[in-house]
Parts: sequence; structure tokens; C-alpha cells
Amino acid sequence: MTLQILLAVSAVLFAFGLVAALTRRNAIMVLIGIELMMGAGNLNFIAFWRFSAHPEALTGILFAIFSIAVAAAEAAVGLAIIILVHRRIKSANVDDANQLKG
Amino acid sequence: MNEFLQRLNALSWDACSQWLVLIPSGVMLLAAAAAAALRNLIHAALCLTLSFIALGIVFIALGAEFVGLVQLLVYVGAVAMLIVFAILLTRPSDLAGAKSPFAGLGPVGGILTGAGLLVALLAFIFSSPVAKTALPPAPVAPVAKIGELLMGSYIVPLQVVGVLLTAALIGAAVLAMEDKQP
Repeated sequence: MTLQILLAVSAVLFAFGLVAALTRRNAIMVLIGIELMMGAGNLNFIAFWRFSAHPEALTGILFAIFSIAVAAAEAAVGLAIIILVHRRIKSANVDDANQLKG
Repeated sequence: MNEFLQRLNALSWDACSQWLVLIPSGVMLLAAAAAAALRNLIHAALCLTLSFIALGIVFIALGAEFVGLVQLLVYVGAVAMLIVFAILLTRPSDLAGAKSPFAGLGPVGGILTGAGLLVALLAFIFSSPVAKTALPPAPVAPVAKIGELLMGSYIVPLQVVGVLLTAALIGAAVLAMEDKQP
């Protein structure tokens, strides 16, 4: 197994996430796409750590841990915003949220 | 005899750990594709959960046990739960006016963008000399060492992440709170 395989898997996962975030109508699906892209990023961190010359420094692992923490914060705020928007305009579709007025 | 057994053990572990990475990777990609494409939001959320579980198994098979367990706890335990709750709270409107699950002009632009990015990334990955590195011997990532680093050289980022999580969770609670005044 080489680094190529893991990077290719990560690239495909990122592309799926990007397509989900760009094409789906529902805001929750957009968030799911963003989470998939975050997962692809974490897979890259771990893959480069596994194949690095100095894995004992644990840099990739620590970066992945911080990235997971930031992703959790992002998911909490994103879902709160979706619920708030749904309460105001009675819809979770991104097409319907086309006004800055509250 | 003993040496033979040891060699067999090492060989089968190498082959085994390779499949331990490749099979969950395949499951993860299939589940991610299903999560991106499925019409039903609950099904998409469950496929996302499956994809996260497989990703955690990939992390564990790559030797990053702690990150794999954190991935399972945070994503499968917390983020997937949040997503399911948000789907349940926003569900009725989606059933009422869902003509197409795709936004705007339809899926063509997004799929073209994703495919273009994927082709560019794969071309770069398969032409890069760095990516041809062979698998080095399995590194050890003891949790005690991770804890020492988090409490030592990485103490400032750890505190900043703590502040970020606190602010994000308070902000989420404030945002989702009911408006008291009419």
C-alpha cells in the first residue's frame, strides 16, 4: 500500500462532499457535505502522518484532533442557524433563504 | 518453527492491516456517495453515520487509535445525533414542497465542479513523487504521549479550542432559543 491510495480515497471523499454541498437544496444536506469534506481533510492528516519520516512527533494526530474539535463546533452552530432560519421562513431550503431581512 | 510462525504472523498482519484499511475505505466511499445522493434526509444522515464509522476504522487501522476513537465519539455520537435532531425539527416543510432535492439550476454545475476538482486532484496525486512513498513500519502513538504533548507544547491551541467550543455552544444555544417577545 502506498500513500497514493489513501490520498485518492480522500480526494474522492472530498469530491462527494463538494458535490453534496454544491447541489443539494436542503441546508442540512449542505452541512452533511461539509462534514464529508472535513472527514477527507482528517484522512489526509492521518495518511501523511502514517507515511511521514518522523511519525513520533505526532503532529498529524494532534492536527486531526484539533480539526475534529473545530468541526464539532461548526456543526453545532450550523445546525442552530438552520433551525433558526427554519423558524423564521418555515423552510430549510437554501433557495428560500434569499433575504438578509430577518 | 518458531521463526516460521513469527514470519507467518507478521506476513498475515501486513496483508490483514492493508485490507483493514482498504475495505473500510470502500465502505466509507459507498456510504458517502449514498449520503450525497439519497433523496430521503434520514437515509442520508444514516449513510453519513456509516461513513464516519468506516472512517474511524480506517484511522484505527492506520495506527491512530486515539483519533479513531475520538472520531467515533464526536462524529457518530454527537454530530450525527445533532443532524438527526435537526432533520426531525425541520422535517415538515421538506415533505410539503420537495419537487427536486437539488438546488437552483439542478445538479449539473455542482457535479461538473466536483468532477473537475477530482480529476485535477487525482492527476496531481498520481504524478507526485511524494505520494509513491512505501509504507514505513507502523509508528506508535501512545495516548500518554498525546496527552503530554497536549498539556505541553500544544497547551495554547488546546485552550483556544476550548474557548472556541464554549463560544460555539453558547452561540448555538442563543441562536436556537425561542424569541420571547412577539
